[in-house]
Amino acid sequence: MPYFIVFLVTPIAVAIALYRRNPARFLDGPAEDAPLRLLRWAVGLLSAQRAEWGRAMLGELGALDGRWSRLRFALGCTGAALVMPPWGRAAAALWATIGIAAASLALFAVLTVDYGLGVGGWIALAVVALICAGYLLGASALLRRPGIALPGVLGGVFATLAALSLSGFTAVDQVTFIPNPWQQWVRVIAVPAVIGIAGTLWRRDPAAGRRVARLAALSAGLLQLLYATVAVTILGGGGPPDEDGGFTIRGTVSDRLGNNVVDLVVSTLIIAMVGWAAAALAGYVMRRVSPPAVPAQEV
Amino acid sequence: MQRNRPPSPQTVNVLRALAADPARWRYGYDLASEVHLKSGSLYPILVRLADRGLLETSWEPGVGSRPPRHLYRLTGAGREFVAVLTAEQRDRSAARSRRRLSEA
Repeated sequence: MPYFIVFLVTPIAVAIALYRRNPARFLDGPAEDAPLRLLRWAVGLLSAQRAEWGRAMLGELGALDGRWSRLRFALGCTGAALVMPPWGRAAAALWATIGIAAASLALFAVLTVDYGLGVGGWIALAVVALICAGYLLGASALLRRPGIALPGVLGGVFATLAALSLSGFTAVDQVTFIPNPWQQWVRVIAVPAVIGIAGTLWRRDPAAGRRVARLAALSAGLLQLLYATVAVTILGGGGPPDEDGGFTIRGTVSDRLGNNVVDLVVSTLIIAMVGWAAAALAGYVMRRVSPPAVPAQEV
Repeated sequence: MQRNRPPSPQTVNVLRALAADPARWRYGYDLASEVHLKSGSLYPILVRLADRGLLETSWEPGVGSRPPRHLYRLTGAGREFVAVLTAEQRDRSAARSRRRLSEA
């Protein structure tokens, strides 16, 4: 039931929220071309000290004609904006995230070699590396938004600890855990919703709450992947036999690693989507309870 | 702490392009085209040059619906830096030629 809500109802709710925010976008298409929208997004990643350079990039793009030259220029500037210092606290969080992803990939590679998982294992590793690269890119963009890094990373740690508390912390728990219905509700609905609501209340801004939820989803996904990969490294082919792996050690390890990747993607999607919806709902309630102050009329 | 690493070849090219007509204000896209750099390489270079006080910036007001454009030219320190860079390169070339002659 909770999975049904997340994967069917939440996308519909998100689409309705996006439509309510800007109906013209759905009816008439975007008012700006893709390069301008991309560059506007990228410029938002720059620190306050670099805001002038963001305006400089936008000004230059405004003077360019031709779809491809605009797109090339915007892509280049986006790359520059993603790596341009200063980063402040976000740098520490990004390095920690890179470390977590690298540790998971390194363990995955060691297991692939140790258990002779062959070409299939290396292909799986390449897929995981691609997913992790995408996560890191997303995290690097979110971490640079003012005031998002700390609540986002804390949200990820909270989601990981909650998941481990439900499953148990041992290596065997990681490969044998099957949640009962109430545990599913906690994992799939309650925890992500708490993250989205807390993010919104922390920053008093639903947009920040949505970003916190997305960053929490990415960091929780990577943390849980590391924990689960460590568990497989400890167990190897040990623990309870795995029917899906054909009862062979190699098959068992391969199947456990595959399950970890599926869990990574599913848990990230769940936290991001439910957290997003909860942050939007919290923002709506916040506006209803305490409407923004109207400036005093001049006499 | 400000690090004073030797400028990269791309930075030297940008500096040279700006020093060719130091009084003239230049647009970012024109500079990038002239020195064959992508925007993603040019802007970090311009930022570093401005941070080091070698580049001055200004805004050209927008025309019609077009937004204002950023303009760049070398500061006095920037011109001196390019002069020193050129002199150093000349000295290095001369030393290399002398070495080649003595080896021959």
